[in-house]
Amino acid sequence: MAILLLAVGAKAAPPAATRKTRGAPMAKVTLEVFSDFQCPACKTLHDQTLKPLVAEYVDKGRVYLIHRDFPLPVHAYARQAAALACAAARIGKYEPVSDALFDTQAAWSNDGKVEAVVVNAVGAADAKRLSDLAKSPEVLAEIESDMQKGRAAKLTQTPTMVLSHNGKTYPVAGVVTFPILRRFLDQLLAQ
Amino acid sequence: MTKRSGMVLLLRLALAVVLLYAGYTKLRQPWLVFAMSIDAYGLLPEMGVLAVARTLPWIELGLGTLLLAGLWLRVASALTAAILAIFFGIMLLSYGKGMGIDCGCFGVGEALTAKTLARDGLLFAAAVLLTRMAWRRPSTPSL
Repeated sequence: MAILLLAVGAKAAPPAATRKTRGAPMAKVTLEVFSDFQCPACKTLHDQTLKPLVAEYVDKGRVYLIHRDFPLPVHAYARQAAALACAAARIGKYEPVSDALFDTQAAWSNDGKVEAVVVNAVGAADAKRLSDLAKSPEVLAEIESDMQKGRAAKLTQTPTMVLSHNGKTYPVAGVVTFPILRRFLDQLLAQ
Repeated sequence: MTKRSGMVLLLRLALAVVLLYAGYTKLRQPWLVFAMSIDAYGLLPEMGVLAVARTLPWIELGLGTLLLAGLWLRVASALTAAILAIFFGIMLLSYGKGMGIDCGCFGVGEALTAKTLARDGLLFAAAVLLTRMAWRRPSTPSL
């Protein structure tokens, strides 16, 4: 039954390019980031590495960034946060919601008030839509699809970045600082 | 061959194979991929990360070759034990902090887990034993 649901979910999920992505799909390098909104290391990667990466590489069309959700079972509110972020992506508000979730991670990780973060980020009207959308089968299937992709890449921890270039993939787990990541990206882009 | 020299031979060859394989797996991928694995430990500044990423695979290959050939056994075994002690200490510290990172031991994609810690601990113990045996007896190339 679970397999059937996964298969249906995978088919129902719209292409990633319409949602949790940023940059030019035809960029030479694709960077998939598997993360968990409740994981402190994911927040560090988001704040210290991905923000400069977006400014210097993604928005200049050199790297295509794909966000993948990989909520870990040890984090009580991670799946709910992922569902709200996926729902936000469907109304074009992924980034404000994901930024707000990471910015206030310490607070909602303690009190579990994830939806309050969304209200502050997008306003009450959109927050109600997101709350309903987050419970939809499509959103839940999208998270499951991301997790399946992570498992297929033998991912066991977050954050994990998977860089792809010329048919080769390079998975790297943990927080990689921007200066080191930049060196590798420059090496790939120079090829 | 005595039981003792047989043990030295076994430890020497086992450590040599592991070091040669570790160096090879790091060198067959872009060196900056290994740099990112080192960086994820969060212990070194940028220049330190780059220096280790550039040199460590060659050090592993060099020590592996010396152990395989049985040359400078006392020095090679002591350096191997020292390097493995550093690896083991860093891995233990990172695992204790609950860091979700790659071990970086044999290229990318191997998570730092209790299993990798146990393996590194065993290798360290083997290197210490080899060093002890090498320093207790005359160092000869035949071993």
